[in-house]
Parts: sequence; C-alpha cells; structure tokens
Amino acid sequence: MNWKAILLNRYAVTFGTVAVVTLAWNTYIAMNDDGIIGGRVIGPQGQPVAGAAVVLSERTLLVTTPRGRTTTDADGRFTFTGHTFHRIWLEAEKPGVGAYPQTEYRMYFKGQNMILDEPLQLEPSAGGRSGKPS
Amino acid sequence: MNRFPKWVIHLGLGIICAAMMVPFYWVLKTSLTGENIFAYPPSLVPENPHLFYYVDVWYSIPFFRYLVNSVIVSIIVVVANVVLNAMAGFALTREFMGKGAIIMLFLSCMMIPFQVTIIPAYLITRDIGLLNTHLGMALPLCSTIVCIFVFKASFDAIPKSLIDAARIDGVPDWMIIFRIMVPLSQSAIATNIILAFIWSWNNFLWPLVIIRDNDMQTLPLGLARFLTVVEDSTGALYAFCIMVLVPGLVIFLLAQKQFIAGLTSGAAKG
Repeated sequence: MNWKAILLNRYAVTFGTVAVVTLAWNTYIAMNDDGIIGGRVIGPQGQPVAGAAVVLSERTLLVTTPRGRTTTDADGRFTFTGHTFHRIWLEAEKPGVGAYPQTEYRMYFKGQNMILDEPLQLEPSAGGRSGKPS
Repeated sequence: MNRFPKWVIHLGLGIICAAMMVPFYWVLKTSLTGENIFAYPPSLVPENPHLFYYVDVWYSIPFFRYLVNSVIVSIIVVVANVVLNAMAGFALTREFMGKGAIIMLFLSCMMIPFQVTIIPAYLITRDIGLLNTHLGMALPLCSTIVCIFVFKASFDAIPKSLIDAARIDGVPDWMIIFRIMVPLSQSAIATNIILAFIWSWNNFLWPLVIIRDNDMQTLPLGLARFLTVVEDSTGALYAFCIMVLVPGLVIFLLAQKQFIAGLTSGAAKG
C-alpha cells in the first residue's frame, strides 16, 4: 500500500489539517479557560486607585445582569475568577474620584483568561466604548 | 488561431472572475467587521477585522448539532436519489404498456408545487411515524423527477446490445442497473449528487413543518432561529452564512475534478 500517496491525497491533507487545528485549539482552550480576568484601575491623572468597585456584567438579549463584583487593592489591581462568558461588560467607580463607563470586552471562548492591556481609567464623565482581549 | 493574445483573454477572464467573487468577498468582509451593508462610501478593505461574530454564532445556537443534522439528511437524500432514481430511470428505458402515460404523469407532477402537497405529505409522514426524524426530513427528496429523467437520458445513450448480452448471460435486472448502467453514467450520478445535495442542504419549509425538537433542526432552520436570538445581527448573520457555506464549498472544491469529469464525459457520450 502506498502510504505516501494516501497521506498526501488532498482529502487526507484537508481533513487532517482540520483535525489537527481543532485538536490544537481545544487543547489551548482547556489550558486557558479558568475564567480569570485581571486588570488595573487608575485615576484621571494615571495614579492607581485603591478601593474602587469593579463590576463584571453579562448582557443577555434584553438586560445587563451583574455577575461579579470586586474592589481594587492598594496597587489598583483587581481579579475576577471563574467567569463562564465570552462577552462581558466591565465598569468601575470610586466615589469622589470618578467612574469608568460600562465597556464591552469580547473573548474567543467561554471562560477565557484575560489580562487587560489597558487600565480602566476613572473619569468624571462616562461614555460607552468597546474593548478587545489582550 | 486566436484573434487576441492569451494574456488579454486571461485578463478578461480574471476581471470577470473577480466581479463574480465580489458578493462572496462582501459577505466575508461583513462577517469580519460587522459593517452595515448600506454604509456609504463603501470600503473595499476591511477595517479592524475580528472573529468575534463567529464566536457569537457558535455560542448563540447549537451550530455543530445543526451541522450534523444537515449532513445526515443530505447523505440520506444523496444516497437515496442515486439508488432510487437509477432504478426508476432504468424502468423508463424499457418498453411496457402505459409507459407514455407514466412519463406524462411524471412530467405533469413536476408542475405541482411542493406547497400544494405539503399537508398530505405531512399526514403520510405522521402515519408512518417519521415526524421529527432525519429520515422524515429526507423522505420527500429521496427521489426527484428531474433526476429520474437525467438517469433515463443517460441510460438511453447506452447501447441496448450491452443489456441484451448481459441478459443472455443470466445477469439479473438489479445487477444490470448497478454493475453495468450506473458505472457508465458518471455524468448522471454527478448531476444527481450535486442537485440532491443542494436541494437538501437548502431545504427550509419541510423541516420547519415536521421538526419539533430544537436538537433536530437543520442549518436553514438554525438561521431562522438565530435571527430571533441575536440583536445586533449584521456581522453575526454574515458569519453564520459563511459557516453554513464553507462545508459545502470545501466538499465541492475537493471533488470538483470528479464532478467536471463526470459532466463532460456525459457530454461526449454517444
């Protein structure tokens, strides 16, 4: 049997490639779906904001429902764990400093670990915008 | 000798091909950007492309389940079409009393739209217990009159002496069909496969009528359901279209050599 001809057949190459990519993608997902979201909150002048409330929300067809809430540490860092969404909204607020408007972040699979490249910057006035995962 | 140099012909063909590819490119671009189709001025190059609309589609509906259902139904339809239409086509090549009337009946039945017969078809499918099943979805497409005539035309081109020789050797009718006639009718087989696959893959009304469970829906039904689930639908809708299109496109591109060989061999026959 001519194994080389069989393996280099265009059907074998196409479906084999699809199988390998699918396996690799699912392996990557299994290693990165702990649902960890990390980031920083900074003030209008760029200084870390401690004690800011950060809310993680999920939007369904009609409403946005809060799914997690945390506060920043002394360095302005926050972490959510165990989320199961592929599309989330984050907002942050600290009375007296400002607010970060509800902003959409999208992921490639449910529960994807995501460390935000850009910090959430509190501002006195709020307006929506979109974000992408790092 | 050609009046034009080859590069001019190739350039012209290239431009025509590019023009024919524009709608496909537009669907692909919109699925990556979500840009409104009515945006003016239109941009040819996608701005900030991403794959998140495909992710939305994947999680909004059980896409893989719908794909599997569509594939199962299409396989049943294609196999049934090749087998049943070959037998019916062979019967119509023989001489028997009332043949003309049967051909007229077939031709007249082609003029009756499926919507007219959908209630009797539903009642029959219910009575034999095939509602909400893959076989039930495939049943009305298991034999189509157009494809029967495709086989008949192809079988008519095969010399009668070949069949007579087989009969003298004691070959039964079913072996004459599947061992002699069908292998000599590659064009008819290719046409049957292509038409049956396309009709089955795009079938919407019949599955809509007989399918009750969400898990039994096919891709066209999934598309209709998807439109009711996703609010901001432009990009996701186009992503869904690409995901429905790609499996069939890949199969066609892989098998186009056989398809074209089959069609052209039929054209040269006789």
